[in-house]
Amino acid sequence: MEPFEIALSLPVVAPLLDVVKELADGLKESLAAPPALPETDSVFRDLWTQELLAAQNEEVAALLALFNEEFFTEGVIALGPGNAEAIARACSAIRLRLRERYLRPLGDEALEIGEVELAQLDAPTRKAFMCYLFLATIQEYIIQRLDESIIGS
Amino acid sequence: MAETKTHTFPTQQAMPRLQLASAWRVVVLNDPVNLMSYVVMIFKKVFGFDETTARRHMLEVHEQGRSVVWTGLREKAEAYTFTLQQWHLTAVLESDGAV
Repeated sequence: MEPFEIALSLPVVAPLLDVVKELADGLKESLAAPPALPETDSVFRDLWTQELLAAQNEEVAALLALFNEEFFTEGVIALGPGNAEAIARACSAIRLRLRERYLRPLGDEALEIGEVELAQLDAPTRKAFMCYLFLATIQEYIIQRLDESIIGS
Repeated sequence: MAETKTHTFPTQQAMPRLQLASAWRVVVLNDPVNLMSYVVMIFKKVFGFDETTARRHMLEVHEQGRSVVWTGLREKAEAYTFTLQQWHLTAVLESDGAV
C-alpha cells in the first residue's frame, strides 16, 4: 500500500472534530462494540476485553493524530501502511458510538441506506450524522487502497 | 519395501473427541453501521476469501442477519473471533452444543 493524502474541506471538517474527540474520550474506557465472549473463566474474559480495549485506544489515537498542524494549515491528512488499518478501525468504532449516542432515533434502516433528511434533524443530531458520513468517506478511501494491496499480495 | 509399523488405531473414545473439538463456528452478525465494503475487505484480509466468497458472506450477514465464516478448532476460532472484534464486527463463537 502506497502512502496517500486526502484533501479535506477545513470549514466542513473542523467543526466535526469536536464530536470525534468527545466520542474518542468515551472510547478510552469502553469498547465500541462490546463482544459476546465465549463461555470461559473470568480471567480469560477480562484479558480478552482489555486487549480489545488497548487496540481500540491505539486506533483512536491514530485517527486523532491525523488532525495535526498540517491538517489545520493545509486541510490535508496523510495515510499509509503505518496507520491506514488502525484508522479504518477507529472510524468504525466512532461510527458505532455515534449511532449509540446520537443516531439511534433515526432508525437502523435509514442509517444503513444513509438516506436521512438533514433539514429535519436538530443541530446536534445533524452534526453527528455529518460526522458519521465523514468517517465513512475516510473509510472508503482506505478500503479502496487496502483492497488493492490485498489483491496485489 | 515399505516399512512396517505398528499402528495404534483411534479408539472409539478418541473419535468423538476429535469430532467435538472441530465443532466451533465463527459467526458474524449484522449491524447497521459497518459499511458493506468494509466487511468484504475484512473477510478477504482475515480469511483470505476471494471477492465472490467475501461478498457472499457479507450479503448473508446483511440479508439473513448472520453468516458462519469459519468452522474448526476452538483455539483458532477464538483467534478469528478476536480479530473480527478488533475490526469492530459483531462476531461470536458458537459450538454445535455437543461439547
